[in-house]
Amino acid sequence: MKKLLFSILCASPSLLFAQGSQVNTQGVRALGMAGAGSALFTDETSIFYNPGGLAKMDHNAVSGGISAVMYRSAFKESGSNQVYNTRSQVTPPFSVFATFGPDNARWKAGLGVYTPYGGAVDWGDSWPGKYELNHLKLRAIYIQPTISYKLTDNLSVGAGLVYNIGMVDLARSLPLFLPDGSSANAKLTGTGTGIGYNVGAHYNFDNNVAISLSYRSKVVTKLKKGDAEFTVPDAVAASFPDTKFSAELPLPASLNLGLSVPVSDKVDIVADGTFIQYNIYKKLVFDYADNTPLLQDTEQIKNYKNAFSGKVGVNYKANEKLAVRAGMGYVKTPVDKDHVYAETPDNDRIMGALGLSYAINDKFSLHAAYVLQKLKERTVTSPVTQIEGAYKTNIHAPSISFTYKW
Amino acid sequence: MKRFQKNIKLYIGFAALALAASCKPSIDLDTKGGNPENVDFSKYIAVGNSLTSGYANSGLSLKGQEQSFPNMLAQEMKKVGGGEFLQPYFPAENYNGSGFLYLKALVNGQPELGTVTDHLAIRGQTPDKKPLYIKYTGPINNLGVPGMRLDLAFAPRMGELNPYFERLLPDNETATKTYVDFATTKDHTFFSFSLGNNDVLGYATNGAVTTDATNTLISEQTFAGLYTSFITKLTSKEQKGVVATIPDVTAVPYFTTVTRQALLAGVNAALKAQGKDPVSDIYIKTKADLPRAATDKDMFILPFSSAGLLGRQDLKDPATGVVNPFPYGLHPRNPVGDNFVLDEAEAKMVQDRIVALNAIIKQVADSKKLAVADIYSFLNKVKSGYQINGIAISNKYITGNIFSLDGVHLTPMGYAIMANVFVDAINAKYSTKLGKVNVSQYGGVALP
Repeated sequence: MKKLLFSILCASPSLLFAQGSQVNTQGVRALGMAGAGSALFTDETSIFYNPGGLAKMDHNAVSGGISAVMYRSAFKESGSNQVYNTRSQVTPPFSVFATFGPDNARWKAGLGVYTPYGGAVDWGDSWPGKYELNHLKLRAIYIQPTISYKLTDNLSVGAGLVYNIGMVDLARSLPLFLPDGSSANAKLTGTGTGIGYNVGAHYNFDNNVAISLSYRSKVVTKLKKGDAEFTVPDAVAASFPDTKFSAELPLPASLNLGLSVPVSDKVDIVADGTFIQYNIYKKLVFDYADNTPLLQDTEQIKNYKNAFSGKVGVNYKANEKLAVRAGMGYVKTPVDKDHVYAETPDNDRIMGALGLSYAINDKFSLHAAYVLQKLKERTVTSPVTQIEGAYKTNIHAPSISFTYKW
Repeated sequence: MKRFQKNIKLYIGFAALALAASCKPSIDLDTKGGNPENVDFSKYIAVGNSLTSGYANSGLSLKGQEQSFPNMLAQEMKKVGGGEFLQPYFPAENYNGSGFLYLKALVNGQPELGTVTDHLAIRGQTPDKKPLYIKYTGPINNLGVPGMRLDLAFAPRMGELNPYFERLLPDNETATKTYVDFATTKDHTFFSFSLGNNDVLGYATNGAVTTDATNTLISEQTFAGLYTSFITKLTSKEQKGVVATIPDVTAVPYFTTVTRQALLAGVNAALKAQGKDPVSDIYIKTKADLPRAATDKDMFILPFSSAGLLGRQDLKDPATGVVNPFPYGLHPRNPVGDNFVLDEAEAKMVQDRIVALNAIIKQVADSKKLAVADIYSFLNKVKSGYQINGIAISNKYITGNIFSLDGVHLTPMGYAIMANVFVDAINAKYSTKLGKVNVSQYGGVALP
């Protein structure tokens, strides 16, 4: 039997959702301004956005939030009159932040447990690109203990250690056919871990203009002993033994600069710019513990480029209890035209966001935000299947969180 | 409450956004303005033989009918103004239709075939013990009849000779209706036409031995006359359509799988196991000359392999009824029968005839302003192998993904790719934007 092209892929749209856009769903306040606001908010979510801002909190707080990230992609093969959509899937990223520190101390400690990736694509098994990908779900939990210190009243710094637990679940069809006519498939599931750090500094001028500078290191998640399972005809089962695989997923480092400017007692304008060092993502290699003539290790070229994103927002304190906000942003894709894969049909994107915070009483407050991202339509040729077609993606992410402070 | 009223606009804004969440991204289709010459697809009929009917694995089943290339084509036509496309389906409970071949096992990489014999749509037998299939005499658009030839389309009593045609006819027409009358009285607005293959391949697949009307070789002159006549009838109301060319014999695994070298390798492995000396030649019977050693240019037909005759010393000579003691095919005095081999000279003649007939097809199509789906070129391209949607396809038996187990008819995937040849031909001729069929939705040969 002819050697099959057997390239299994991983990596995730959610990696991009998290890193490429820097619209993380951790801080629902910042989310309401499309992810801008690292300079404005010095609260428990600073653990994520800028550990340097944490020490400026004058209280302690615990917050928990949840989002519904809906990744909606569409594909139309060139020359076809049929549009294929990803199945509607909601993945709920969550985040929990807690701070610890005595009153009026110069330091503050915190712990964040959050899921920076909350995406899933499910193209199903009847779309043209099914021999590239059926579905990919990726979930990662970051655990980040953090310490922050106020060097002066205006300047504080902080650092956190990131420990990542990543889970991957992906499937693709294989061009072999079972007695009922359906195609064979491969399923890969695995868990990996990685380590990184997050550092930052926060400075506010006496006129309340604030600057935030933070750096997140790369986190290379290593998957070892993942499970590879194959549903194939009995006649070729020996060539597709259920086996183990290993792979490495690099998450890029990013440098973020944020600025907030109060324009009145009630209104702040914020801006954030992020430079993301995506060029570490050169290729994705899957190494199978057992190889056969039909089951070979695979290498997929990614060749990501460094990317940037820019976001602006406005925060309006309507009264003592209510703040409303809005923002927009632009993200330059790290994926060039020749390396667009079905799991990340990425392109430059614009995003808009709305949000609000409402203080129920002195202790409890509620935050809500809604982000819509639109990825520009992009006509590409798949590096795996050579199918030419157009991708278009919308991402919807409503989020809600509660904060208890003391 | 007061605050709620104050912020009502905000709440409405959020509600509107939540609504937007259910919206999918949209990509523009080409269907608007995709038919500038107003080609009338409202009643498309498919005229043809087994390839048109959805025949595969030496049989016709309900699933095969559903995955016929005209049905795929009709679904795309619907998006640009096409109408309902009806097919003469076998009943749901008789889904295996005529029965067909399936791959039972791969033994040391060699296929072992079985025949499906349950849930058949057989209603009885003809006097000469041929099956009669459950009838379908309602209105249909897919007029494909397995075994139909261009010359036989003009012959009366075909309903009595061809059970697939018989099942489409009311009882009182079985003995009288010709296929050409049947096919040209459907009030069609558009047609596909793929007759002519069997007029050459029927002869070739029988090793260029003629035993009856189904395996004669048509002459160019007869072909030109009948082809023009059929197409003239189909275009009597200026209807547009698409015609298919005839594939080359060397493009189909029926002729290319069982090679001289593969046979020798098999024989010599068996001889070696018995401690005997290897042989270096296979002898074949030819029409013109005395038996001779086969060369790599002689093509053995696919069923010769499963017939299991090679090397046997217990076979009776069909002419004399006496057992021939020489090993079958391995000695000049017991050569492989002519019907199992399309020898070099026969192959050349058949190939030349196909080229000549395709020229006639293109000429008639041109004169009637019809599109040409060049199946000849398409299968020649398959012969050298290429990748489509990440799948390697070729004319290799079983692993090539295109040809079904009979080595002549296509797999669902093969029919889908063929449908796209028709799509491209129609779009090129009439500036339409028929969409291409999603090849990934259809499978190749099912493995056990």
